[in-house]
Amino acid sequence: MSALRSLLVLVALAGPMTASAATHVVTMEGMKFEPATLRVKTGDQVVWRNKDLVPHTATAAGKFDSGQVGAGKSWSWKAAARGQHDYVCTYHPGMKGSVVVE
Amino acid sequence: MRKFTALGVLLAAFAAGPSYAQQGPSDPQIAHIVVTANQVDIDAGKLAEKSASSKEVRDFGKQMVTDHTSVNKSATELVTKLKVKPEANETSASLKKGGDENVAKLKKLKGKEFDKAYVDNEVSYHQAVLDAVDKTLIPSAKNEELKALLVKVRPAFVQHLEHAKMLQGQLAK
Ligand SMILES: [Cu+2]
Repeated sequence: MSALRSLLVLVALAGPMTASAATHVVTMEGMKFEPATLRVKTGDQVVWRNKDLVPHTATAAGKFDSGQVGAGKSWSWKAAARGQHDYVCTYHPGMKGSVVVE
Repeated sequence: MRKFTALGVLLAAFAAGPSYAQQGPSDPQIAHIVVTANQVDIDAGKLAEKSASSKEVRDFGKQMVTDHTSVNKSATELVTKLKVKPEANETSASLKKGGDENVAKLKKLKGKEFDKAYVDNEVSYHQAVLDAVDKTLIPSAKNEELKALLVKVRPAFVQHLEHAKMLQGQLAK
């Protein structure tokens, strides 16, 4: 609930300032990516925020790789190439996500 | 009232002191149990990183070191913030003893025997820790932040258990 609220606040804040580029947040929490599938536009910023107590990664082979994102830390990536980028946490392969750049 | 009495009799029959059994561990004791439980798995993981024969098991050991070190860092930070002084107790002592015995046993093994013994222990260890988290630690924790930390760490332990079970299945082939 609080994660959703902070996401809404963030989107609301980012909204008026950036007409073309938006910032999206994916949380790493409870050994899951949330939202598991995210749709963005080219030029948007995606922030992965690790709310777990263990480190994670967001890794799409050949597309992007956060490297280790420690507990409580974040990593951001600018969506450039269009397409569906499936990614995993290389530490916990059960954690799967997807960014669709439109 | 009758129910309460029956429970009291039952507890008296199984525990040396009924009051101890009813109360569960205190927050300082829970803090000590959490840190000890993580340390035990870090010690075994370090050995597996070096001594396991399969890459999957070495990687799993490394993961246990990384994750449980990270959990212990968060737990230690919280305990410091809350000014809780971890207090040694029977549960943490038996965890430590079990961990030391496991490491001593593993040190005598090689190859696939090592991998199997390590992974078998990881399955039962994570199952036991999850049981303790669910049945004793979360229900007993008084401080809300300490309770929240236990709730937050639970999914990682579940994932570790599933991963260990998967390796156990592979090694059985
Ligand atoms: Cu992970």
